[in-house]
Parts: sequence; C-alpha cells; structure tokens
Amino acid sequence: MQIRKLKCEGGDKMQRNKSLSLIIGIILITSIIVLVAFANVFAPYDPIEQVPENRLMSFSSKHIFGTDQYGRDIFSRVLFGGRTTLTTSLSALILTVILGLFLGMVSGYYGGLIDALLMRIVDVMMAFPFMVLALIVTSLFGISFLNLLITVVVIGWVPFARLTRSIVIDAKENTNVQASEILGAKSWRIMIEELLPQVISPVLVMATFELGKLMLSISALSFFGLGAKPPSPEWGSMLSDGKTFFFQAPYIIVGPTLAIILSVLSLNLIGEGLRDLMDPYEIPKLEDCPKRRLLG
Amino acid sequence: MFTKILKKTMEMVVTIFIATIIIFVLIRLSPRDPVKIVMGNPEIAMTNTKEYDIRYEKMSEELNLDKSIPFQYISWIKRVLKFDFGKSIYTGRPVADEIKERIPATLLLAIPSMILQCILGISLGVISAVRHEKFTDQVIRFISVFFSSVPAFALGLMLLYYFGVHLKYYEVSNVANLSRLWLPVIVLGVISSPSLIRVVRTNMLQEFGRDYISFGIARGLSKGDILKNAIKNIALPIITILALSFVSLLSGAVVIESIFTWPGMGRYAMESILLNDYPVTQAYALFMTIMIVIINFFVDIIYTYANPKVKM
Amino acid sequence: MKKKIISIGFVAVLALVLFVGCGNDKSTQGVSGQKSTEATKTVDTKATDQEELIFVEREIASKTDPNFYPGSSHYIANGASETLFKIQANGEVEPFLAKGSKQIDETTWKIDLRPEAKFWSGESITAQAVIDSLERSRETNVRALPFLEGISFTPIDDYSFEAKTERKNLNLPLSLAYMELSIINASKAHDSIETMDMSGMYKVVEFQPKKKIVLEINENYYGKKPTIKRIIHEEIMDNEARTLAASSGRADIVRGIPNESVAQLKKDDNLVLHMAPAANTQTIYLNLQKEHLKDVKVRQALAWALDRDELVVLGSEGLSTPVTTWLGSNPKYAEAKNAVYTKYDSEKAKDLLEEAGWKLGDDGIRHKNGEKLQFKLRTWGQDKALGETIQNQWSRIGVDTEVIYGDYALIETARETGDWDGLIEAWQTYGDEYSLLSGQFSPTGTANYGKYDDVETNKLLEELLNAKTAEERHERALAINERIAMEVPAIYMYPRVETSAVKKSLKGYKEHFRQFENVVNSDLEFEGY
Repeated sequence: MQIRKLKCEGGDKMQRNKSLSLIIGIILITSIIVLVAFANVFAPYDPIEQVPENRLMSFSSKHIFGTDQYGRDIFSRVLFGGRTTLTTSLSALILTVILGLFLGMVSGYYGGLIDALLMRIVDVMMAFPFMVLALIVTSLFGISFLNLLITVVVIGWVPFARLTRSIVIDAKENTNVQASEILGAKSWRIMIEELLPQVISPVLVMATFELGKLMLSISALSFFGLGAKPPSPEWGSMLSDGKTFFFQAPYIIVGPTLAIILSVLSLNLIGEGLRDLMDPYEIPKLEDCPKRRLLG
Repeated sequence: MFTKILKKTMEMVVTIFIATIIIFVLIRLSPRDPVKIVMGNPEIAMTNTKEYDIRYEKMSEELNLDKSIPFQYISWIKRVLKFDFGKSIYTGRPVADEIKERIPATLLLAIPSMILQCILGISLGVISAVRHEKFTDQVIRFISVFFSSVPAFALGLMLLYYFGVHLKYYEVSNVANLSRLWLPVIVLGVISSPSLIRVVRTNMLQEFGRDYISFGIARGLSKGDILKNAIKNIALPIITILALSFVSLLSGAVVIESIFTWPGMGRYAMESILLNDYPVTQAYALFMTIMIVIINFFVDIIYTYANPKVKM
Repeated sequence: MKKKIISIGFVAVLALVLFVGCGNDKSTQGVSGQKSTEATKTVDTKATDQEELIFVEREIASKTDPNFYPGSSHYIANGASETLFKIQANGEVEPFLAKGSKQIDETTWKIDLRPEAKFWSGESITAQAVIDSLERSRETNVRALPFLEGISFTPIDDYSFEAKTERKNLNLPLSLAYMELSIINASKAHDSIETMDMSGMYKVVEFQPKKKIVLEINENYYGKKPTIKRIIHEEIMDNEARTLAASSGRADIVRGIPNESVAQLKKDDNLVLHMAPAANTQTIYLNLQKEHLKDVKVRQALAWALDRDELVVLGSEGLSTPVTTWLGSNPKYAEAKNAVYTKYDSEKAKDLLEEAGWKLGDDGIRHKNGEKLQFKLRTWGQDKALGETIQNQWSRIGVDTEVIYGDYALIETARETGDWDGLIEAWQTYGDEYSLLSGQFSPTGTANYGKYDDVETNKLLEELLNAKTAEERHERALAINERIAMEVPAIYMYPRVETSAVKKSLKGYKEHFRQFENVVNSDLEFEGY
C-alpha cells in the first residue's frame, strides 16, 4: 500500500492495522469453521433432545447461551446449526457467483439486445421485495432446502452480474481484447482468457461481502419456514423462534445473532484485506503532523 | 435521439408486461384458493357439501377464476387500460382506492427513513474512510455489521417495548400519523444504512487515490473542500444505492410495518399474497414495476450524463 | 466538512424529534377527525374513561356485511348485532334477542320475539324481519348452512314465528345461537356504513376495513343500554405488537394474546387475564388410507406414546390441560376428559408396535418388511412447537417423524394428493352432538380427513340422530366418543387456549368459553367513574 508521506510518520501504523484486520478476519472465520465442523466435539449437549424441565433458561455456566423453548442448549445448537447455515450460504454463494459471472459477462460483452434483455430482467426482479418473492415460492413449491436455494440464488446473482458487466464493458475497449477480436478468436475464448482474469478479483472481494448478506437473507427466509427441517438447528430458524418468545425470554436470540455477527464480520474483514492485497487504495495522508485533526 | 427515446419506452413497456404476466401466472399457481378463503369454513364440519360446492362454483365464476389463465390476463389488461384495477376479493373495495389510501403512509415512512439513511450513510461512511483503519473506522464497521445482522424484529420490538410500554410515550396502535412516525423511521433508517456506509466508504477510499486529492493537498486546500469534491464525485454510486433503497422502502418494509402496525404498501402486499387476493397482488406488481422502471430510467440518464462511456 | 455534515445531521434529527414531540402532545386524529385521547404519560383519563373503550383483535371484519367472512363473530363481539339465542358461559342456551321458545312437537318449534326490539334505524324487529334475516344468511353465507339445514320458517303473527325441522328433536335454540345467524335488517344493503342496520346495542359510525371500526350507543336498543359511549374496535395483526398494545395500557381489551406472552402479562398489575378453556380439541388427524396406519395397533401405539403433560407445557406454554378424547373439551362432557388413555405409557406403545410387526432397528427406527416406520406430520398456524414436540416424543418409540410446518393451503393440497400421514387441527366441540360428531366421523363428514368409515360408529351415529331425550343423546355421544378413542382415527391432545387481556379498571367483563363472540356487553364500565 502506498501512502504518499507528506511529512510525518504514521504510514507504517496504518499498514500494520490493515494486515491486522485481515489476520483477525481469517482467525475468526477459521475458529468459527473449526467449532462448527467439529460440533460433535465442542458441543456440550445433544442439540435435538428436548428437556422440558430446562425450558427457556437464561445464560449460566451450564448453558452459556441459555436454553430454548424445548430445553435444548442453545450453544450446542448454534454449533451444529452453523453447519447447515454455512454450507447453505456457501452453496448459494457459489451458485450466485457462477450465474452472475456468466450472465454479466455475456451481457457486457455482447451488449445490444441481450444486454437490454438482461437489464430488463433485473428491473423486473427488483420490483419484488425479497419477502414477497419468498412468500410466493413457499406457497407455490412448499418448503425445502432446494426452494431456499432457489429463492436466494434468484435474487443473489444480480450484484455479481452488474459488477461483471460494468467491468467487461470497460475492459472490452482494451487493446488486447480488440486485437484478439481482429485475429478472429472465438468470443468465449476472449471472455475466458482476457476478461475473466480482470473480473475475478473484484468478484472475489464482492463474494466475501455477499456471503454475509446471503447468510442474513437465509435467516430471514426462515421466517417463512424455508430453512432446516425440524429438529435440525439452523441460525435463521433459531432467530425466527426468538420473536415468539421475545418477551418471555429475549436472551434466546443472542446466541444465533452473535454467531451471525461474528461470521459476517470476519468475512467483511477478509474482504477488505483481500481488496487491499489485490487492489490497494492509494491514500494520501490527509493529516499534517503533529496535531491537526481532520475533524477540526 | 427520438428513436432512442422510443426504443427506451418500448423496453419499459415490455418489462412491465413481462413482470405482470409473471406475477399473474405465479400467484394463480399457488395452492391458496381465494374463493375458499373468502367463503370460510362453518364452525361445525358439514356432512353435506352440495350447497357449498354450488356456491363455490358460482363465486369462482363471478371472479372469472374458472376461465383459463390467458383469458383472465387479457380481461385484466383490458380493464387496466381503462384504469380499472378491479376489486379486492377479500374486502370488496376497489383496489385503486386501497392503494391510494396506503401510499401516503408508505411515503411518510419511506422518505424520512431514506433521509436518515442518507445522513447516517454519508457521514459515517466518510468518517470511516478518512479514519481508515483507525479505531473509529473499526467501530463504525462493527456497528455497520451489527445493525445489518441484528434481526429487524428484535430492534423494532425492543424499542416498541421501551417507548410504548416502559415509558408509555409511544402509542401502540395502527394509525399512520406524525406522532407515531419517528420510531419506525429510526429503526428503518438505522437498519438500511450499513449498505450505504459501506459503499460510501469504499468509494471514498478509491477517490482518495485520485490525483485531484493530492493536488488539492499540495495546493493547501482545506480538508473540508477536498472532501466536498470527493463526495460530489462519488455521487453516482450513492444515487444507485439510494434508488435501490427507495424502491425497497416503497414496496414496503414488511417486518417494520408489521411490528409497528403501520398501514403501508408492504403489509398490504404481503397480506394479499397470504390471502391470494389476486387483483390486489396484480395491481401491486404493476405499480411496483412501473415505479422501478421509471426510477431505473432516471438513474440511467444520470449515469449517461455523468459518464459517456456507459451506453444507455 | 465533516463537522458540517454532522451538524446538519444533528439539526435534522433534532428537528424531527421536536416536530414529532409536538405531534405527540396533540391528540391523534382518526380519519373522521374525531379526537381520541391516548394513554400518554400520566394524563388523567379517568373523567373521559367512560367515553370510549378500545378493543384490539388480531383481525376485524373486512366488510360492512356480517354475512361476509370474517364478519359475523366480530359484529357480535363488538355489540353491533345479536342472535336470537345465546350460549351462556355455563354452556346453557338462553333467549337473547328472542323472548322465548317452545317446542311444539318433534319437528315444530314456536319462537316468540320482543315487541319492543328495534334495529338501529328504529324499524321494528318483527317476525318477518327475523325470517328475512335468516333467509338472507342462508342465501349469502355458506357458513350458516349447517345451522339452517332442513329448517323452514313461517311467521305466525307480528312477533312470533314457527320453525319446522326435518330432523326430529333438533335443539333449535342452539342452532339459532350461532354467530352466523345474527339478526340484521335484510331490507338494507349493508354495503356501506349508511346502509348498515343491525340489532345490537352499538351501531357502527366509522369503518376502515382491516384497521378500525368505531361504534356508538344505539339509542333504539330495546334492552339495558351500555354506559360506555364509544367502542373502538382495532386490528393489530402482529402477535407481539398486540401484546404490547395490552401492556402499554392503551387498549382496554385485547383478544388473541399468544400463549408465549402470557407469562409476561401475568406480571402486569393493571391487567386481568381471562383464559377460559375454549371448547375445541387439538387433534392429530390420521390418514387411514396409508398402509401403516390401517393397523389399529399402530394408531393406538401413537396415542399411548404421547406424553400429554409435556405437550401442554411445550405446545401451549403450560396453559391448557390434557384431554384424551374429542368431546373431552366440551364442558358438558367433562367426564370424558381422560377416558381410555389414562396416562402416558410409552412401554405399552412400544409393545403394541412390536405386536404389529414393527421391530426396532439399529438406527433407532422401527422396520417391517424392509420398510421404515415413517410419519409425515403437517402443521400450520400456532402449532409449530406442538408438532416438533410430537416428533420428539414419537422418535422415542422408534417412529421416524417428519414435521412440515407451513401454510394451511399446503395442507389442503396435501389432503387432495394424499401426501400426509397426520395433520393437526382443532375443531369446535360444543354444540349439537349429532352435527358435531357426524361432521367428524361419518364417512361424508368434511372433518373426517382420514376417511374413517366404521360400521359400529355409523350405527351409533344413527342412534344418536334418532335419540328422543337429552339424556339419551348424551349417552349415545359418550358411546361414540369412546368408540372413537379405541379406534383412533385421530389422536386428541388438549383444548386450544384463548387468552384475553382486560384492563383491571374495566368491570363487567364476562369470561366465556366462546370468547370470540362475547366481549362487549351492557354491563361494562370503568371503575371510579
């Protein structure tokens, strides 16, 4: 990262902070993944067995996140639930990235009618708020993991397509691409060899942020029952249960919310870090030393 | 120029048609039967359903629901062109009236929320960018993640409880008036700001690398002036996000509207889908698509005007 | 620059708050411009308390016509309309709008009306007007059909009429007590406020569908007039928001308090919670078309394997009490509450399954002929937790249960396609025994989801139909009840609890097992007035 040092120091500190973020992000997400992957080791209780005597207990040393309405330990359910939530989000992410990349590339490269059509489809999709779409899908096709993925992917590809499209539109003018075209190379080859590399890093960065958003969308969908089938735990459905018990036991949403916050946070940190690695900001120091503060 | 406008208009019209067709078909595929819902079930189970079936047939016929879907669509379009949006199956009132009643409430909620979102988004985004990687930045980013991860109902219910029950300052009812506006606006504004904060921050950081910034510093311009210029330059992405936000606020912040029992379009649409109230859902889809197409059109114009490379 | 943005922001927010704060001090204004006081801070509302009563429900009438769903019960609950007879809290049917009734013979009744009774408009409620109203219900209201089936009316004079029934010894007052038969002026159109004309103690002066109905005292009411001048009937659909409407002190009566909120409202000293157990029974209807459910031993095992006490705790927040037969929730059949399945017996359940050939495998699930014992349970509405608890309990005896929670429409579709093993629903259990039981257990009954068709039961139903005295009817009903419990076409768990929160200062509220039509009455008044 280049920082035009005008006069004083401070640049190194910023650099250190930057890599610190990335490292914290990676550590955080890795710990989450480890905890979740080895849930059967780390979870103190069975996430499924109902223990009515222990219903809705608050935080304690025996149950660090408390117990839910069936007496199940929330911490254990968060760990096991993470498996479902993370794999679902990841699968959805992969699908949306592929779909978005493909459509954006095609739309951006060919332009014209195809592009216009795609943009109109995007318009049509934006007309329907997420919840409305979810309602329609559930009433039509019922509730299943597949439908969850469909709903999420159907909406999720848009930002990737847009990003790819705008990059491709710019990159098309690039001389390498024009040269290949003159030489008669096939379109798809141009797309893969010339355009794809340019698109990959911004898309990757966007992917980390979108993963967070996907996790949130998936948990929102649990409000409509589109989630893991009971009794399997899943962060989103644990949250939606929290609404019914909000007054009786408000603490039961803390566990899954914390899990989501930490996951999304770590992904954001990683995203920022990756962006800095691949495409660093050039930030001139806007501060003179020693004491003049920007907010003055 | 003229052909361009014509082409654009054609595109918009086609989009609207396609959207309405899709919704029209989708909601009719849903297993929820509006006739059954509106007829209801007797308190005691029947043993003889002959009369029930007769009435069912009659009502389906009255509502045109026994005809084929293309036929229904064409009759609907014919009426729409005469500005007749039909009557709600559930309440029997003209859909146009019901939407007209709810638009003010929706706007009343959407516009201030957007203003709040703007204020929070731009100010926090700029601060975050300027204090890049410093403590303030980390805090703002954490708050950003926090408010996008916390479920909307939790925030809403918590504040509703605190101000409505604990302090007894906020009225828990179902009217859309000024005295009940501030709380849902705050919740909505705060919840929708994280995305704007992030966009502003990212774009500001990119701007900082541009030449005019360092030139400005070298020339001794005040920080305020430099930042002002920078903000002007990142106006485009901000406008895009705000347009998206406005659209989603218009279509209704369903969760917030439910919790605060705010009589807006979002809840209206959702309830109509739950009841399979076809005329309502169709009119809503039409309305929303038109809004989006218009808004996107304007955003496109702004973009073209500002950046000639992007073709219309 | 930053300073500028922040200060602008600050000022804007401050302005907004001030603006709003000022708005809050003014009274809120309804559409009609009526000012209503809110429960803000410590405003002394005692002097104006008797002015209005705020009654909040999950859903209010969507049209001005009570024959249109979901109107009927709501117009009775808010005092707008009345039925000829009324089911009292103790389960007895008594004259209400009518003056009295007399059974002439097995198929004839005479109903006497009150000469002083008038509609809101002042028009007299004559025998002809009553008959017109009943016929209007028959024509326009599908839900009224079961209660008017085979009954014809003829006026005798201005204030009495005769009813002829096809069924022998039908309890006509009971049929006429149902909410779908409230008496309205059939000569008026009921398509707007101006054309509404009903028989209740309050009349509608403002109507905002799905939001608010405002009612004022009907000056032409025949009976004891209420003292509260205005009723504001509001709709708040969100469960938790409705709970808060009660805790905030703004609403005087809130119906439909979700079970999960009860614990919190109990602590509120300003509220009284009314939880009369409703006369309905949460039931798991079984699909008798499925092979594995055709064996009565399997069905009995499923019934023995239910720990109903646990179901009550997890499914109804401990607010209900277990019931093992369908009629057990009907106050008149309390003796049948715990018949047949006297306790939770998972060992017996396991034995029954073993006898039926379902052996326990290594995976903890029972197998027979290479197939797993699987059960697809469908739930909807408030029964999410109940479904999951049942799933858990049945897994203990080796049944692989899948719970699918969703919209009621999905269950209707599943019933048509047969893609279900069990579904949870709760039907009313109070009323005419023959209608109730045939609707549930006769081969053509619409609530007989599993297509149960049993010779013995059909015979008993026939006997019930021909029973001559109330005692005979009671005894036949009990016999059917017991037969059903043994044959298990469905498994019965507990009555659904309905809770209303009423402000402590409001006196005269009647707790009733049919709360949905018993809210506003003329005895309601605020204390200290």
